[in-house]
Amino acid sequence: MLKLEEGQQVSKVTDMTRKLALAALCALAAFAASPSQAQQATEIRLTYSNGQFQPNQVSAPADKPVTFRVKNLDAKAMEFESTSLRVEKVVAANSEGVINVRALKSGRYEFYDDFNDKARGALTVQ
Amino acid sequence: MALCVIAGISSYGGAARAEDASAWRDIETKYIFGFTTGSGIGLEGEKEFTVDSIGRFGKRDGNYAATETKYEFEFTPSQFIQIEFGALGSTHNIGGVTGLDDRNQVALAGGFAEFRYLALERTSNNPLAVTLAVEPTVRRIDETSGERVRNFEFETTVNADLELMRNRLYAGFNLLYEPEVTQMLTGETQREATFGGSAALSLRLASNVVLGGEVWYLRHYDAANLTSFTGDAVMLGPTLYLRFTPKMFMTAAWNTQVWGREIGNPVSLNLAEFQRHRAKLKFAWEF
Repeated sequence: MLKLEEGQQVSKVTDMTRKLALAALCALAAFAASPSQAQQATEIRLTYSNGQFQPNQVSAPADKPVTFRVKNLDAKAMEFESTSLRVEKVVAANSEGVINVRALKSGRYEFYDDFNDKARGALTVQ
Repeated sequence: MALCVIAGISSYGGAARAEDASAWRDIETKYIFGFTTGSGIGLEGEKEFTVDSIGRFGKRDGNYAATETKYEFEFTPSQFIQIEFGALGSTHNIGGVTGLDDRNQVALAGGFAEFRYLALERTSNNPLAVTLAVEPTVRRIDETSGERVRNFEFETTVNADLELMRNRLYAGFNLLYEPEVTQMLTGETQREATFGGSAALSLRLASNVVLGGEVWYLRHYDAANLTSFTGDAVMLGPTLYLRFTPKMFMTAAWNTQVWGREIGNPVSLNLAEFQRHRAKLKFAWEF
């Protein structure tokens, strides 16, 4: 435990707060930098009807961003969601949703309708 | 702990095989390890409100119970970043504890923000994921004593997890460095830090139920630069994650101090800087 004069204490605590705020801002600025934006995206078109994705198996090249265009033909809203792609988007009935995904590494990425456990699909990146 | 979990896995084996885990959706790992935080950062566009309470119980003598609750809003603005912020509420029920004033109070304790960056993502070819997190916190109520103070804390963590069996078994690891400075009403200023790490193992019993165990090793210093070591402790206990609906879940954990030492005090356990038990209960609503 350090014992300081009152003026020193206030000054040091204020200084500490300033440093913490600066560190947080620097961290946020670094985090915000995303290299995937400049690259051309691979577009994948899906339709959603009768509670199913069509097609439900799609593929894309590695290290390139992906754009999903999901056309919901059903009369109720669906939510395109994927834990591994880290995206979710509600697509209203009879409308289209656009979901932009970062450049992906090789692998299999599952997606689903969060409102309908039976609607599943997968993206294979290679 | 590992033995208990392995025994659990073995006894559960038959039932687990009966349900095909490959048909389950991927799980968000952030909350499946109890006090240990997984690497998950949520989904881009997802928002969540959570109530996260941590209770600390038991000192060397007397009665000691303190809780701190985070009322938290979190959101994921990109596929690599998660941001959280909120208010802290606290309760202190202290009687006859050496070195602490008797107290029975409920208070608005302060506020916090957390920034999480996914540094290494899991894919079907890579089972390891790592997230770096910083959490600045300001308190007007001391976490341990309940006294009025001005406290600034800057928790820094590395949250890593490993998918050991597809959709079924996960290991989690945290590395923690938490410096803080506290200005007392008497004018004294205290600097201290906690440093440590954890390991956890969690088994997904059903698509919405995860059970596990974790162990923490924590060291306390009376200096932010880890030069004045005052004691350490090992905490151990079970964890539970339960998803009620696709948009609502809870997590719970209980840790008991099973080993500890206070420098200069030849007693078992470290109940000066840590507590005998701690518990966590969190409810979350996604929208």
